[in-house]
Amino acid sequence: MPARLVRHVVTVLLILILSTVLSCSANNRLEGYVYYRLNADPTTLDPALIVDVTGGSISAKIFNGLVKLDEQLNVVPDIAESWKISEDGTTYVFHLRKNVNFSNNREVTSSDFKYSFKRILSPSGRSPNTWVLEKISGAKDFMQGRVSDISGIEIPDPYTVEIKLEQPFSPFLQLLTMTAAYVLPKEEVERLGDDFSSHPVGTGPFLLKEWKHNNQIVLKKNSLYFAAPPKIEGIVYRIIPEDLTAVTEFELGNIDVITVPASEYSRYRTSPEWKEYLSSIYGLNVYYLGFNCSRPPFDNVNLRKAVAYAIDREKILNTFYEKRGRLAQGPVPDILRKWQALFPYAFDLQKARELIDEEAMNDRTILFYITTADQEVIDIAEIIQSYLKEAGLNIKIKQLEWSAYKAAINNGEPDLFWLSWWADYPDPENFLFPLFHSSNHGASGNRSRYTSSEVDRLIEAGQRALDSTARDGYYASAEKIIAEEVPWVFFWHKTDFTLRQPYLKNYKIYPIYNIDKGVEISF
Amino acid sequence: MKAYALKKIALLFPLLFGITLITFVLTKALPGDPVYSMVGERASPQVIEKIRKQIGSDKGVIRQYVGYASLLLTGEMGRSYYSNRKVMDEIIAKFPNTLKLAVGAMCIAVPLGIFLGMTSAINRNRALDRMISVFSITGLSIPVFWSGLVLMLIFSLRLKLLPPSGTGDIRYLLLPAVTLSLPALASVVRVTRVSVLEIIEMPFIRTARAKGIKERSVTTVHMLKNALIPVITVIGLEFGSYLSGAVLTETIFGWDGIGRFMMEGITKRDYPVIMGCIIVSTVVFVLVNLLVDVIYICVDPRVRADGTER
Repeated sequence: MPARLVRHVVTVLLILILSTVLSCSANNRLEGYVYYRLNADPTTLDPALIVDVTGGSISAKIFNGLVKLDEQLNVVPDIAESWKISEDGTTYVFHLRKNVNFSNNREVTSSDFKYSFKRILSPSGRSPNTWVLEKISGAKDFMQGRVSDISGIEIPDPYTVEIKLEQPFSPFLQLLTMTAAYVLPKEEVERLGDDFSSHPVGTGPFLLKEWKHNNQIVLKKNSLYFAAPPKIEGIVYRIIPEDLTAVTEFELGNIDVITVPASEYSRYRTSPEWKEYLSSIYGLNVYYLGFNCSRPPFDNVNLRKAVAYAIDREKILNTFYEKRGRLAQGPVPDILRKWQALFPYAFDLQKARELIDEEAMNDRTILFYITTADQEVIDIAEIIQSYLKEAGLNIKIKQLEWSAYKAAINNGEPDLFWLSWWADYPDPENFLFPLFHSSNHGASGNRSRYTSSEVDRLIEAGQRALDSTARDGYYASAEKIIAEEVPWVFFWHKTDFTLRQPYLKNYKIYPIYNIDKGVEISF
Repeated sequence: MKAYALKKIALLFPLLFGITLITFVLTKALPGDPVYSMVGERASPQVIEKIRKQIGSDKGVIRQYVGYASLLLTGEMGRSYYSNRKVMDEIIAKFPNTLKLAVGAMCIAVPLGIFLGMTSAINRNRALDRMISVFSITGLSIPVFWSGLVLMLIFSLRLKLLPPSGTGDIRYLLLPAVTLSLPALASVVRVTRVSVLEIIEMPFIRTARAKGIKERSVTTVHMLKNALIPVITVIGLEFGSYLSGAVLTETIFGWDGIGRFMMEGITKRDYPVIMGCIIVSTVVFVLVNLLVDVIYICVDPRVRADGTER
């Protein structure tokens, strides 16, 4: 290549760079839109298929259900303006609002709910969320293709939906606040087929304007929305996988709200410029060290106790975790618990050693599986490993990719594993039945394969109890037994932190993904 | 040459067959099951079975491969298990971004790399040569996730000149392209330097100088042209690998390219996505190599179309 050509190329490049730089000052934000960050593209916005929090929180702005949650976690009217529950707790009659329209300008009627619910349970469908609605009477027969209709859903008129349950199920209304119970327009679902997942049509305060996969999602205010309209023009979700990049974007004012990454927490908490814009909320979650209770060594409750005694959870929470959570006393998050609970095995190295000696567990290698998705998890695993080494246990950490990790823990391969559980709906039942009932071993939630007929009985009684005091009594007893038998070492309930721009008004942080409909925030 | 190119392209088909078969069997042999990630945190065994049937993962690997291969023959690549979107559409949407990034990086790495490599060789063992060597070794050894973040810190956060992330026009392209160009730039510098040093001792250079040809002409026409073959090889290899995606750079700068798409596919065991990306990467790599062969012939007439020298 002649030197002259090289020089020309370099000159052209320099000019390009310079002109780019000079033209760059203009900020190409959409006026009136709030900018959020997502760390991954949601896999789908079809309510039937959504299993992730990201997809759930976006779909909450595009769709509505019969009922929804308010900030205090109460079930309140959404499309159903009122409802009645029969005395035996098995029949729910919902009266729908009139003049609620889909964004294609067609009115929502009771048949749309029936269609949407049938779609979730359809034997040919792909929805993994069948558990949300399978309590409805006749649902199981329908799911297995034995009947063509669900006997438990009736629509006596266009504005009434009547749902019968097989047996009373106390958190049923809360199930109906979930993504899977949103109402969809049949004609759009059928027209779009598989593509509905990226072209959702609902009734919500926003509608999908643009989805550039892996880049950004733009929601626009829905002028047909039936309730109080949003105070903003729309929402832009920018997909930024890297935390540091997101922080840079935030500090440049290109993003209005970010979830504070663990690595940036102490900086923002102490920054005079930012600390007053930091919001926090107690999350509905529990982080835990799970045992495989179905085989040696941890089918032995004494060894589980030994591990619990050996780890100073409080110290880890206060130092490494920078107090970004509250110490867990059991599986149920403290904000959902109306009773007292205390995890009986506080840090006591001496007791741990004695128990380990008694059970002759020294020199045996214990397999501890973690996922590599998060550096924080790797650090916590190493901390746990060193505590257990002190107590005389030899821990081998095995790091796996998320999908391999999930397969391994669902199949019961490790002795120990690190995991968290986040609420689907705000009820203690959601932290007991899936996680500790013996019918849910493996992928259904009970990954520690814990089995106790007494706990099963108490949880089931709680599910059926119509009186809330009685229900809390059952749950409290179940939780007490669980804490004593330690199928998990309960670590903490993580607190969520977000940081917002000073110019944002009425910003709130919510304890669960589907409360925020985006109608309050403003500039 | 036309026959040679056609032969190469014809060879693509058995190659694709082999590569898809091997990748398919290997990915299926990996631990991990996409179904568990698809169903979320609580799903009954019945639902898991149903979804396994729907995506066909309940069948044997060979039967699955035959199913996939026959789908390919109809010109389809299937849909992603998770997003339910067509893999073909996704790749068509993302490939131009990957191409932009790769071309952008090469536009920086190639001219600058050749220039620095030549300068280095001509000033052999002098201070300038040493400086360039240090620069290129640094470029080779600094990981892009570090250089990328440093560039972002300087040009976005401090100087507020360029957007830190996003997929878009040249403003968005600049930082990732510079980041990605660094390792390639360093390789081009090193290879150019070595290759020019070999030529510099040759009698024909001496002859050229003796003939009174201008020094600039000697370096550019006589030296560079003869030193270019190994440089082109390196450029071809780097370009080919960039075209199959640059995962780290794409992740740091939120650039929507094939690399991130494939990486996500791999971690989620989204087999249709993995296969689609592998096929596209293979085709692109073969085509880039073909292009490199053609360039060899143009640059050095001694090279015959079958790759041997006369």
